[in-house]
Amino acid sequence: MSGHPFPQSKEQLLHAYRTMRTIREFEERLHVDFGRGDIPGFVHLYAGEEAAAAGIMMHLTDSDRIASTHRGHGHCIAKGVDVVAMMKEIYGRRGGSCEGKGGSMHIADLDKGMMGANGILGAGAPLVCGAALAAKFRAKSGGPSDVAISFVGDGASNQGTFLESLNLAAVWNLPAIFVVENNGYAESTSRDYGVAVDSYVDRAAGFGLPGVTVDGTDFFAVHEAAGEIISRARKGGGPALLECKMVRFYGHFEGDAQTYRGPGELDRIRADHDCLKKFSAAVTGAGVIMPAELQAIDLEVLRLIERAVGEAKAAPQPSAKDLTTDVYVSY
Amino acid sequence: MSLPHGPTIGVIANPVSARDIRRVVAHAGNLQITDRVNIVLRVLQAARAAGLERALLMPDRGGIRALLERHLRRGDLLLPAIEFLPMEPKSTVEDTFAATRLLQRAGVAAIVVLGGDGTHRAVVRELIAGGAALPIAGLSTGTNNAFPEFCEPTVTGLAVGLYASGRIAGGEALVPNKLVEVSLGQGAAARRDVAIVDAVVTRDRSIGARALWKTHSLAHAYLAFAEPQAIGLSAIGGLLEPVGRRERGGLAVQLGRDVEGALLDLQVPIAPGLVCPVPVAGWQRMVADQALAVPLAHGVAGTVALDGERELAFDAGERLSMTLREDAFCTLDVARCLAVAARDGLFRSASPARDTPLPSRPARRPPPAPVSIPTR
Repeated sequence: MSGHPFPQSKEQLLHAYRTMRTIREFEERLHVDFGRGDIPGFVHLYAGEEAAAAGIMMHLTDSDRIASTHRGHGHCIAKGVDVVAMMKEIYGRRGGSCEGKGGSMHIADLDKGMMGANGILGAGAPLVCGAALAAKFRAKSGGPSDVAISFVGDGASNQGTFLESLNLAAVWNLPAIFVVENNGYAESTSRDYGVAVDSYVDRAAGFGLPGVTVDGTDFFAVHEAAGEIISRARKGGGPALLECKMVRFYGHFEGDAQTYRGPGELDRIRADHDCLKKFSAAVTGAGVIMPAELQAIDLEVLRLIERAVGEAKAAPQPSAKDLTTDVYVSY
Repeated sequence: MSLPHGPTIGVIANPVSARDIRRVVAHAGNLQITDRVNIVLRVLQAARAAGLERALLMPDRGGIRALLERHLRRGDLLLPAIEFLPMEPKSTVEDTFAATRLLQRAGVAAIVVLGGDGTHRAVVRELIAGGAALPIAGLSTGTNNAFPEFCEPTVTGLAVGLYASGRIAGGEALVPNKLVEVSLGQGAAARRDVAIVDAVVTRDRSIGARALWKTHSLAHAYLAFAEPQAIGLSAIGGLLEPVGRRERGGLAVQLGRDVEGALLDLQVPIAPGLVCPVPVAGWQRMVADQALAVPLAHGVAGTVALDGERELAFDAGERLSMTLREDAFCTLDVARCLAVAARDGLFRSASPARDTPLPSRPARRPPPAPVSIPTR
């Protein structure tokens, strides 16, 4: 074949695959290690949802800000947070993103524009309004046209903070984007039960924002839609909402028995809605990337995760003296 | 599923039509779930008033069923018996396919479709695959809506009820429609699909977010009909050489890659509020049942957009052809049904308080020539 059949370059496609594969292997390893009792605290795995993080974050720079959720590992990795530092953080060790004192739900790296995972549902949306307001003022002063993106689950989209943020972003015409990662369950409650009007686009329209729904397991769909929405926000077009319909391969938290799922549901979603399988089939089917190139990335990622776990386990835990460091910020 | 004995219809209401990227890149509207549920209720209430007894509905996980069931629990609505099809929604187009198959098997009289061109195409595609001549009644809840005509759902419901209950015969109620058959590849790997309005070939192989609005990659458009008042890709033909939806033949348009290579530059409303220049290199009428090989430059890969959405990706060297089919499927002619109802006094009844006879009904005119109902 002559010509390149995708809007993304080969390098971008390889980057996307590496990002999604890294998230997947990171989460698969946590699933095992948490089950063995190696990891303190709680973890909520992003496995199955990788295409959304990868497809959106590829349009961002380090100065663009994101606010994540309790299920934040995928967002962190896609935003460029160091994987070894993340693993140390989750293991509660020094050298972690927050020196091992935050754990899974508080990973942050402001140098990468990652304002933090967040254990409070819906709490990221107001933070993003602040970041977007700052970005708007910086852009007016000749700074870069940054955007700020809030991720929220379908359950947390019922929180008042989220709805208030939609309103504020619309009123101030902020370069804020609200991504609803709709995996069908608010913890264990089906969205059929827990959301009165089950369309997040409808909710956006209620606040005067345009909203778009995409197949969140299709990297190419997410990438194109997110690109248009982010580009619009950078040009002053204002906020928008992107609903990514997706699936999660594991429970709400590790240890969740998932009795709320239908018979065979997990097998079906792994067979039919695996974003990595879809991506691989598309790029190898088109002859743009050879299967061996993907396998080489798989190996590279496995080594990275192995190294991250090894370094995490070897790192010391924070001491009692560390308890009061990094608690207060001086301006 | 047990078959009801009374007049029965199917309803396929797509909860996610009008949700695509054209809300951002254009100014496409957003029909809320509450509005879609209101449309379903209007259709069903009116259909019941016209004689419908039962409706089989596609279940969904997009909010229509959930909200509809809240209305049904109120218990104060005059509706036909409502049953949801026994299927597990996947929240993809597979739901529409599965629902269409179940409705065919259930032997419903007609299917009411709420959606845009893409939803209607999905229903038609499955009906044709199943060999059924089941008519559809379309309601536009999509983005461009070139196929479904704007009509108050109450009126559509009346027409559907009259037809389903046998008060208006198919010869008067139904009209035939055209489509474009798409054939891609050869042998065992060949793929076939249909477009009920437009099949458009692009030079961009990415399916991406599906909706097609960028005109720079357009290569060819094959149009079952092209109305000048339409928006979307069929408007290219509609503004060049209109072809009515009831007219014989279709239109094939070759689109220039750049303005220099084109005969003319046509301003076209590609999406709501989005008027773009489209370079046109030539056009010709399509004749029914004559396959047109799509001329693709060497090494060109791309996609075929069916009724506005990129659906089929093809690689360089794959053969692609388009064939216009006439009398391919039938739809309910709502305006004609209501005209027949008026002519035949189908909505008249004697007032209980009136002791004088009703004025005589107007003389019944001979019915129009029956339309051919497709068997394919």
